[in-house]
Amino acid sequence: MTHAIDVRNLHKAFGDLEVLQGIDFTVETGEVVCVLGPSGSGKSTLLRCLNRLEEPNGGQILIDGEDITDPDANVDQLRTNIGMVFQQFNLFPHLTVLKNLTVAQTGVLRRPKVEAISIAREMLERVGLSDKTHDYPAHLSGGQQQRVAIARALSMKPKMMLFDEPTSALDPELVGEVLDVMRTLASEGMTMMVVTHEIGFAQEVADRVVFMDEGVVIEEGRPEQVLEQPSHERTKKFLRMVSEH
Amino acid sequence: MVRPLTGFRPMKKLKPRQRVLVYQLVMYGLAAVVVLVVASQADWPKIQKNFFNTEIAADMFPEVVTSAVKNTALYTALSFVLGMALALALALMRLSSLKPFRAFAIGYIELFRGLPALITLLFVGFGLPIAFSGFRIPGGVLGRGSVGLALVAGAYMAETIRAGIEAVPKGQTEAARSLGMSQTRTMFTIILPQAFRIIIPPLTNELVLLIKDTSLFFILGSTPGTKELTKFARDFMNAERNATPLTVVAILYLLITLPLTFLVRRLERSAAKAR
Repeated sequence: MTHAIDVRNLHKAFGDLEVLQGIDFTVETGEVVCVLGPSGSGKSTLLRCLNRLEEPNGGQILIDGEDITDPDANVDQLRTNIGMVFQQFNLFPHLTVLKNLTVAQTGVLRRPKVEAISIAREMLERVGLSDKTHDYPAHLSGGQQQRVAIARALSMKPKMMLFDEPTSALDPELVGEVLDVMRTLASEGMTMMVVTHEIGFAQEVADRVVFMDEGVVIEEGRPEQVLEQPSHERTKKFLRMVSEH
Repeated sequence: MVRPLTGFRPMKKLKPRQRVLVYQLVMYGLAAVVVLVVASQADWPKIQKNFFNTEIAADMFPEVVTSAVKNTALYTALSFVLGMALALALALMRLSSLKPFRAFAIGYIELFRGLPALITLLFVGFGLPIAFSGFRIPGGVLGRGSVGLALVAGAYMAETIRAGIEAVPKGQTEAARSLGMSQTRTMFTIILPQAFRIIIPPLTNELVLLIKDTSLFFILGSTPGTKELTKFARDFMNAERNATPLTVVAILYLLITLPLTFLVRRLERSAAKAR
């Protein structure tokens, strides 16, 4: 059976700094995987390698069985199948919410404008922001911006979604609304890989938790296993530090 | 304890607010003295006759507007449009991953920023027909002058556009690419619209500079129909042996440039607020 994501012996270095030192793991279709770890552990880099925002230095990444590290792979085509949500939202500030959701649909996927708009409206409704269709991003709160960013990624009808610390830039009172949207998405069967510091979310939503440190996977497994009975000292230490907040 | 000399009160006895007051009084006094001296020395009747002669000023109209202002505006507009197109190409080359493109753009920008605009105009107007015998840029003074100024303005504006592109956060490119947009599509639909919004104030400044630089077009020769403001004024001045035309076109230049510079200031303030 082909995995949704299959990472084999992935290496990535920035100059002399080896950020990923041989990562192996898989994500199945419909699975929600949360990646935890201290800052600098390489989790964001790992995520960014999956749609080649970062070029891996070695190893293989197969998405639905297709090797995307192949130099001949069509990266733009590949990326339309992988939605990505960023820590800083990265909405296009010169475009309205609706335009943010349609610009790649019409430009890249060549969907007719009417279809693109109707998909955009559907996705805005899913994240509960139908009333913001014609607003500019600057007029939205951080939580609303991130929900629009999720809707923007969903508008491409991707096969999977990558979340790069989606709530880390938000004021505490706005984290909940974004996690709610992600929770719903997970329950609808979306394949998700989430880099996060939200232990509670991982515990509740993740099918599997991966703990990374210093560029390697330390341990992985069911959330109750990794989060409640971690077998490695580094995982224990990290969880102690996080829970002290 | 040493006593101060008789009658001398040290400054520190003054309170800070009083000291500011004294300072302001001294400065205003100095300014008044300078104005009075200059005004008393100037030959007012002569100035009035030579710079503010209403009859001569009236003689300049309507041609100074219908022909000279129109030509200045036309030359500026065409130079700006050509310069902008060139600048955009240069800026993209400057940021290209291909080294020859980068090298060409850097060489071009340094060359044309380093030369006086007058020299470039002379090369375009008189050098090109010699180097490529028979080759003439079409459009007469308008064509040759605008191409010449565009070559110069393109170099300056290229650096402005590059700065604008680099000022757009990296996350914008990443978001666009993650949606499957190609590098080119990302540049034209996501990055450039934001970059231009950032650089509207400096580009408007560039426009003001161009308006003034069209006064160099005289070097390319002129016919009655192709004179811009400065040439028009100089010919009128020579014919009338009177400097009033200079005053008139100076006022006309300011009528064009001042609104633009006010606009820039407003744009800069609103941009600062929006950030």
